[in-house]
Amino acid sequence: MLEWLIAAVVVFLSIFPTFQLSAQHFSIGPQMIFGDYREVSADLHYRGVGGGAMATVTWKKLSADVAISKLTYKPANDGTATQQFDAREFDVRLRYYVSGPISAELGFVNRTAKPEFEAQSMGAITAGAHMGYLLGPGVHMALRGGLMFGPRFSGGGTISPLGALRLGLGLNVDALRGRLRFNGDYDFQRVSRKTNDGSGELPAPIQQSLGRLGIAVAF
Amino acid sequence: MRTRLSLAILLALVSAPCMAQTIQNATLRRAQQAFDNLDYRQALTAGQAALRERLTGYERARAYELLGFTYSGMDSILRGVDAFKQVILLEPERDLDPTKTSSKALSAFQVALTQVLVIRQLHVDSVTFVGGQGVVAVRYTVTQPARVVTRVVSGQTSLKIDSTVASGQVNIRWPARLPSGDPVLAGDYNVIVEATIGQNNFATSLPIRISHGAVDTLPHLTSLPGYTYLAETEVPPKSWRPMGLAAVYTGVALAGTAALSNGNLGSSSMREGGVIGAGLVLAGFVMTLKKPAPQPARGNILYNQLLREQISRRNTEIAQENTRRRQQVALSVVPLSRAGGGR
Repeated sequence: MLEWLIAAVVVFLSIFPTFQLSAQHFSIGPQMIFGDYREVSADLHYRGVGGGAMATVTWKKLSADVAISKLTYKPANDGTATQQFDAREFDVRLRYYVSGPISAELGFVNRTAKPEFEAQSMGAITAGAHMGYLLGPGVHMALRGGLMFGPRFSGGGTISPLGALRLGLGLNVDALRGRLRFNGDYDFQRVSRKTNDGSGELPAPIQQSLGRLGIAVAF
Repeated sequence: MRTRLSLAILLALVSAPCMAQTIQNATLRRAQQAFDNLDYRQALTAGQAALRERLTGYERARAYELLGFTYSGMDSILRGVDAFKQVILLEPERDLDPTKTSSKALSAFQVALTQVLVIRQLHVDSVTFVGGQGVVAVRYTVTQPARVVTRVVSGQTSLKIDSTVASGQVNIRWPARLPSGDPVLAGDYNVIVEATIGQNNFATSLPIRISHGAVDTLPHLTSLPGYTYLAETEVPPKSWRPMGLAAVYTGVALAGTAALSNGNLGSSSMREGGVIGAGLVLAGFVMTLKKPAPQPARGNILYNQLLREQISRRNTEIAQENTRRRQQVALSVVPLSRAGGGR
């Protein structure tokens, strides 16, 4: 069934009139997502798989990535957690091309856990740099890094100014003369969260690794 | 049958001028025979008798020439010179073949040449040139120092193209222009050369034909000789740079993940980064093996642009030159066969 669907999409894309593709500033497509989530200690370790979608827009020196995802995190074998939870994440990244391979990046990330008390929901503004490189015709790769500012957690807690970091790696491969894009994206987040229940600050770090593999239609 | 008829016509055409240039007078033929037999006295007697008879111009010249040779052979140089003077006056273009003539006769002939006033070897070169940008070469030989006037005459038109005192060979360069500066009109002309010393004068002429034609225009250029357009793109050599950079990016991401991981959360997961990184390295490897995409060759693009500008500039000049040439006229000057000698 999936093969038929893929074949139908390819045929549909191949008969696109070229005038619709002349700009090709926009792409959108589904993604398969897999991740690793840890919180507070090595015992709360989850691994999950899910789905999502990603859209990209490029206009002159500006570009934006919007990714939504939903994963079901299940307790890993090496941990003591017993309950699985769903994590919905909304990630927006706006970029402005600066010079050479460098672009400045600004955005926000919001992750909601369900059931609410199984993991921390959080939201933060992100800022950083994006370094892109054209590997070959139609093949782009990118490395990005940045900080997350002003995070808010559902269970409370604070971080130091440099306590929330983000690192990413991206790959885009154009196919069918740029009408189709295969993409892969890696996103690592580390938040050095601390809580204080009146007896002093206690470390309650959060760490997530996300891998996204997807396909997108370019317009 | 047709072949025979053609042959007969050809023979008739060839034999007609030959008969006109042969000696018909019997006395003169007898004198020639006596000279050939080295019987100079008989040759003199018969030659002088022939001159008293009715002879053609050619025969009369041959009779005097025979007398000149005979007197020279008898060492009577002065009389020989006199006889050759008559030959020169009758046939100013006459020359003796030095390989078949005795030195005495040759020297007598040369002396005779210096004692009569004639214009010899009038010649006009065939030439084609753009009006106002070339000349017609006219040359002749005058045997004595004399005032020589050269004219070009056609009907009512008479153009004086040269006037000089000269002796020996004279070369004239005539621009074939009217006094107004315009090219002379097309038509048949006579180049007349008149030499005068006191009461003595001599004139000769040569017909020429002047025709007008269009001046050739220049073709437009599509390329400059010796210069060819260069390819504006070039394929860079294969390199391991894509693979290397993909490995570096992946290494930085994975090393960064390992370095930034919180120690309290156990060993960090490399699964996600490893999958994406492996894909990236694989893409870099493929790109390394793949033929690189052609890149614009800036130097070649600038070179081609320069070449196009040069050709465009040259074509503009050619267009201007062609506009000018279409307003010009090409003059062709051809000498025609001469009808008669001098007087």
